Amino acid sequence: MLTDILESKKALFADGVQTILRGQENRSRSVGFLKGNLVRNLRAETRGINARVCKNGVYGFASMAEYSSAAADSVIAEATRNALFLDSHAPKNKPMATSYGHGIVPTGRNIIDFEQKRIIDACKKIDDHIAKTYPDLTSRMVMYSEDSMDKVIYTSDAHDGHITSPRCYIYVFLNSITKDGVPIELFKAFGGAGSFEDHFKDVEWMYKDIDALYKMLMDKKEGVYAQAGYKTVVLGGELSGMLAHEAVGHTVEADLVMGGSVASKLLNQKVASDLVSMVDYAHTALGKEAPLPVYMDDEGTKAEDALLIENGILKGYMHNRESADHYGVKPLGNARGWAFSDEPLIRMRNTAVLPGKDRLEDMIASVDDGYYLLSTGNGQADLTGEFMFGINMGYEIKNGKLGRAILDTTVTGVAFDMLKTVDMVSDNVLWSSSGFCGKKQPMPVGLGGPQLRCKIMIGGR
Amino acid sequence: MKEIRKTAEYIQNLLNESKVDKYAFALHEKETREFNADLGDFSLFRTVFGNNAAVTVYNDNKMGTKAGNDFSDEALKTTVDEAVLSAKSAVEDPAYDIAEKQPSEVFHYGCYEPDIEKFFSRVEELLSDIKAQYPKVKILNVFASHTKDHALYMNSNGTDFEDFGGSYSVSIEFSGNDGEKTTGLDYADVTTANLDKPFIDLGSFRVHLESAQNQLNLTSFEGKFEGTVLFTPDCFAQFVAYTLNNYVSSSVILDGTSLWLDKIGQQVADPRITISMNSSDPRIVEGETYTADGYRTQDVDIIKDGVLKNHLIGLYLANKTGRPVTKNTSSDIVIAPGNDSYADIVASIDRGLLVGGFSGGQPGTNGEFSGVAKNSYYIENGQIKGAVSETMINGNLGDMLKNVKAISKEVVCDGSMVIPYVAVNGIVISSK
Repeated sequence: MLTDILESKKALFADGVQTILRGQENRSRSVGFLKGNLVRNLRAETRGINARVCKNGVYGFASMAEYSSAAADSVIAEATRNALFLDSHAPKNKPMATSYGHGIVPTGRNIIDFEQKRIIDACKKIDDHIAKTYPDLTSRMVMYSEDSMDKVIYTSDAHDGHITSPRCYIYVFLNSITKDGVPIELFKAFGGAGSFEDHFKDVEWMYKDIDALYKMLMDKKEGVYAQAGYKTVVLGGELSGMLAHEAVGHTVEADLVMGGSVASKLLNQKVASDLVSMVDYAHTALGKEAPLPVYMDDEGTKAEDALLIENGILKGYMHNRESADHYGVKPLGNARGWAFSDEPLIRMRNTAVLPGKDRLEDMIASVDDGYYLLSTGNGQADLTGEFMFGINMGYEIKNGKLGRAILDTTVTGVAFDMLKTVDMVSDNVLWSSSGFCGKKQPMPVGLGGPQLRCKIMIGGR
Repeated sequence: MKEIRKTAEYIQNLLNESKVDKYAFALHEKETREFNADLGDFSLFRTVFGNNAAVTVYNDNKMGTKAGNDFSDEALKTTVDEAVLSAKSAVEDPAYDIAEKQPSEVFHYGCYEPDIEKFFSRVEELLSDIKAQYPKVKILNVFASHTKDHALYMNSNGTDFEDFGGSYSVSIEFSGNDGEKTTGLDYADVTTANLDKPFIDLGSFRVHLESAQNQLNLTSFEGKFEGTVLFTPDCFAQFVAYTLNNYVSSSVILDGTSLWLDKIGQQVADPRITISMNSSDPRIVEGETYTADGYRTQDVDIIKDGVLKNHLIGLYLANKTGRPVTKNTSSDIVIAPGNDSYADIVASIDRGLLVGGFSGGQPGTNGEFSGVAKNSYYIENGQIKGAVSETMINGNLGDMLKNVKAISKEVVCDGSMVIPYVAVNGIVISSK
């Protein structure tokens, strides 16, 4: 982990500007076995220091790939020069963002490193198990991926802190082929926040879930194409989490709100059925530590939960310090940067639809002709709230009972229209945290939700 | 900071002392200067001084890689030590290897040193041009950067490649907005080696900006039909990337799931389709000069006149399968133009869509895709009737290349790809 060498540099912060100095190390470990072949064996670290200086509403930013006292001096000087350049070439003459107090935010969990051999051995053990147990697969992949961020942050007028966020996952991909010769694939991510040993000291606990994945693949082997059209569906928790992040979350990030997103004119208005509430959690969600806890952001704002939708009413946006001032609210810690060379942007943390009171069995039983959509490979949405999720596992629902599996397809809708069709919400929440959100920079995010019964457009033949 | 050659010598000495069988390493020393504008106004000026060292070690038929950005002696020693240790931890596979010695070369391309004042003026001009000429376009972000990259690649077979490259790139995110309505987001970007022309006249900026305004005029149709889709060059590039990934990439050849596994020399596409990776094409600003395995990059046809010519085979995969190495690991895609004008192609479509973007799940290994047609327009009886929303397209990547209706003679060149408009029959188009 980084040693704090930056505290004394606060003396270099100039008067009349806002300055943030951030030292950061990103670490990654990666191992991949494709059909028994070790095709990836990589360890990497990037570390450096950046400074961001705000003068009269414009920002200068500079970073250097070196974690040293001299590098800190250089980036403060260069960021100041850049701010002055913009202030002279494109002046904004805006006041400095409001300060919400000083303090020190304590360090979270430690980042612990493990030998590459242990990672390779764990992946090999899983791969051998799959090869031996499921010889009829056409292909398989076992991939370990670990990324961590370690940040030392000093600010001129906000909180300081040493923030750590390690996470690691093993992805298992299983491949087969349908009777019509169509290649099919399913995958599952295991792991979460923490280091290798927090999740993979032993890997045999994963075998039960790998077996369930294999059984679903066998169902998919007999799968059919979905019938395209506007259907009643039960969205699995993975899908409702994706909905919370992609279709609603991005439209309520303040920079996109100012860019004219559909949410810009809907604050305090009805955007969903009464059953729908949504929160971007900081570090604690539903009584437990959130999947990827955030205690302080990269502008030195202490992280708090952001209420987005309450009983169907749009209640708020997510902010950095500048946008919070623009809307006259308090920032809640959403400004984060991915690498030492990245400026902080407004990002989600752990965004979720809140659970309801329905049971999944009742929800499925209530559908005459529709689909139960379980898992997604990716999702996108834009300013209008129009979203798309790739579906890689799902089942038909006929007369209240699960039917045949379906082959890969896509669902789409407009978030604030679709959310008004939600008429049942299950009583449990499924979280996922293995992905990255892309918005100029990548960013690890958590997303979660219960099962939702709603209407949605499904693609197919 | 140590000169990059000195850094290379230091790493080479460490690797030679470690007595490993083979090694390769790549060093990059980069400087990026970037202007950001939010909502049409400059907001941030960013300078990034970046390094990267990636060391790969091959020993006893094992391979391991360590990468880092700290060029201090102590950190570089750790990088080498960990690469050696990673290789030691790996499983044996005699297929791991590096390319045989290639003649040493020094490459210069693009624009190595930026003119920051002129660059700022060109970006300022772009913002002003958009405001004046496309009043119903709302700019969310502009990211305008110049990056210079001094790179070295060396391996234990004696190959020594050195690059001095640099370019300006501009990326804009925007939507149509008339005060009442907002369209979906659209994106456009361009890479250029010089500042001779206004940015708005480069790549497909004007096409995208015009489209954003037109997206405010919605039309609709009901149900679903099988029709013709005319893909814009930017959107067709996305489908080409899917196709290469699904049918010719190293992973699907290695695991045997490619449907084109044994189709080299066979017709897989319409005879008018030629897809190449032409890194030496002068329209590509920063074409690849050497591959990840250490080969001098060559121009390669993937599909020539509809016939599959090459898979994307790296050295590891070549050793594994006995297939020849493809000496290009770039995405410098060049697609041959056709004979029809864009206007004639639109006029020839009975019923279909002009599709400017695709938001869909990654197509499965069978090539089936389904997703939302973004920035798209309904075409009926040869005329563009209006923009559509909540419209999905479904098809199959392999079938698409066989069902080509027409290819435009106009191509879009954004500095990294050269691609025409392509019309395809037999796509299922559905609306709410």
